[in-house]
Amino acid sequence: MNELDPHSLQRVIEESELLLTCGPGGVGKTTTAAALGVAAAQAGRRTVVVTVDPARRLADALGLDDGAASDEPHRVDDIGSTAEGGELWALMLDAEKTFDRLVREQSGSRKQAETVLNNPVYQAISGSLSGAQEYMAIERLHQLHVSGEWDLVIVDTPPSRHAIDLLEAPDRLVGFLGHPVYRALTVGQRTFAKITDAATSMFLWAVKRLAGPQIVEDTLEFFRSLANIEGGLRHRAKQVSVLLRGEDTAFVVVTSPRAEAVGEAEHLLDAIADKKFPLGGLVVNLIHPLPEPLSDADERLLADLDPGPLADQVEWHRELSTLATAEREELVEVERLAGDAPVIELPLLPVDIHDVPGLVDLAERLT
Amino acid sequence: MCGSADTVEAVNTVDTQWLTSAHVMIVAGKGGVGSSTVAAAAAVAAARDGADVLFIAVDGRPGMGALLGGREISDREQTMQRVDGGGRIRARSIPADQAFGDYLELKGVGGLLRRAASSASLPMIAAATPGLEHLLVLGKIKELEKEGVADLIVVDAPPAGHATPFIRSASGLSDVVKSGPVLEQAEEVAEMLADPQRCKALLVALPEETPITELMELATDLGDDLGLGLLPLVVNACWPDRSGLDKSPAMAARSHKLKLSDSAKSALESAADFGRSRLAQQREQIERLTEARDEPIITLPRLATPRLSPDDLAILADALVPDDE
Repeated sequence: MNELDPHSLQRVIEESELLLTCGPGGVGKTTTAAALGVAAAQAGRRTVVVTVDPARRLADALGLDDGAASDEPHRVDDIGSTAEGGELWALMLDAEKTFDRLVREQSGSRKQAETVLNNPVYQAISGSLSGAQEYMAIERLHQLHVSGEWDLVIVDTPPSRHAIDLLEAPDRLVGFLGHPVYRALTVGQRTFAKITDAATSMFLWAVKRLAGPQIVEDTLEFFRSLANIEGGLRHRAKQVSVLLRGEDTAFVVVTSPRAEAVGEAEHLLDAIADKKFPLGGLVVNLIHPLPEPLSDADERLLADLDPGPLADQVEWHRELSTLATAEREELVEVERLAGDAPVIELPLLPVDIHDVPGLVDLAERLT
Repeated sequence: MCGSADTVEAVNTVDTQWLTSAHVMIVAGKGGVGSSTVAAAAAVAAARDGADVLFIAVDGRPGMGALLGGREISDREQTMQRVDGGGRIRARSIPADQAFGDYLELKGVGGLLRRAASSASLPMIAAATPGLEHLLVLGKIKELEKEGVADLIVVDAPPAGHATPFIRSASGLSDVVKSGPVLEQAEEVAEMLADPQRCKALLVALPEETPITELMELATDLGDDLGLGLLPLVVNACWPDRSGLDKSPAMAARSHKLKLSDSAKSALESAADFGRSRLAQQREQIERLTEARDEPIITLPRLATPRLSPDDLAILADALVPDDE
């Protein structure tokens, strides 16, 4: 629990206001985010964890099993002894609801908001627009952060092979709004017929040819209504971009020792350094335990056994040692890339963690 | 029920020709379960059987080309390896914008519309037509299948939470698109997905609780609800079942008429203790899957390395197909 312990995230959970866990899929990101939440609550902080697509049993354990209402924070109980004021709350990201909330907040009037929300094109893309989930995870983080209700907001980011998408999500939306065709569509034009810009009318013509006339009207309508809230969206993207680079923010990269996962984590660490996001730590999860070594004399004694239970045991010892050693070699470079940030290695546990006591146990290992 | 003896028992229920029972094999699984590796192993197994295989990396993961014995996979088709007996593996990726261009060309869309489309750029059109990027990629795969460019097209589907939206893009699009060539394309893709002679899915999991639960959800979602034909279910990375681990090292030594030093006992026990719990979990989860689903189950061995080589891939390919004897 030493503040300067290079193998503890204690300092990060005590001092940050925003924490993002990111990394490849299937390495235990959500579990790590939840366990960091437990540790923060134990340290006396009022903490909320935003999960994205949690495994069902973990969601149940966090009380996030009641569908729509899971988008709002739920209190998680029985997290061990907590210092004064420490609480853990959890919610499940609902990208569409978050987008709706953003539109309502940024619209000048209720009517304006309803126009956007009721548009069929908006309804179709709010959940599925490429990168929407990533962007909405960050938007939800912002909403919770500025509410002033939380000491610490932890966001578990969507799994992504291109994890960098997440970091660029706010900029991407602004890029979209800056697209010349979008600009031409929304600056002072009122109907399809009156659009004179060549590229834009060609765009609409292409959409019409490919997807039918109805969608052209819906698209126009959608872009036009989006224009009303464009200023707000741009402003928000800028705010979020500043917030993510602030000194109260920390990114925690989670990986496993598998070569593909390590490759993605290295890529992510490079991108975090490159874009000047603050790195809070690296968690390497699911490492096979390294068995105690056999002495040379014992190795010789056990070298050529006939098939049988002891041969099974020796073979298993050899295989597990080989894998565990190779995994540790695989990790040298990625741990170097973490620089001065704490690195926490977690063993592959005999069974998955899917209840609160399991999270409490993991919280201890992380700090 | 993993392990050499049990593996044979498990795959005996599998038709030996399953690999090429449909022209298109979509390989899918949640992130981290090794579905790309299994896709590559299936390609190798089919090629060894004499098939001309086209491997399509939808979400081009680095390193896949080397694993298949060739160069990095790109949007240009390359031969990865030739196998004795006439089989070969070619590989490519399909970026959405390229699929879009090919699609326009295919539809005989003139230069004017093509220019319009490129001036507007795909992201804008895609924003106006949700799911379009996925549909374009599936549409391109459907064209390749129709042209009969290979005996088997293995599709390494996007990982994590993206496999379902990818495969569902065809049906989802028809909610917003009511007419035009995009709808036509969606219908043709849906037709291919629903025809088990043309297309089936190979679903992959690990022998652990959460991945097995997610595999069962995926099977319900894609198989039962969407009507996609399912190939055997693959449980990847299973440790061989070593019954000798159930004994203590001292007991085990006794049946070999050996006496172990204390340090040897302690070293072996430190490994055996972990092995027992993993094996128990593995047996329990495979049993759970067996009870929940009717499809045959194939278990693939866990290889003692975090970084697979083409030789390792060959071992997995062997395990995918039962012996003919």
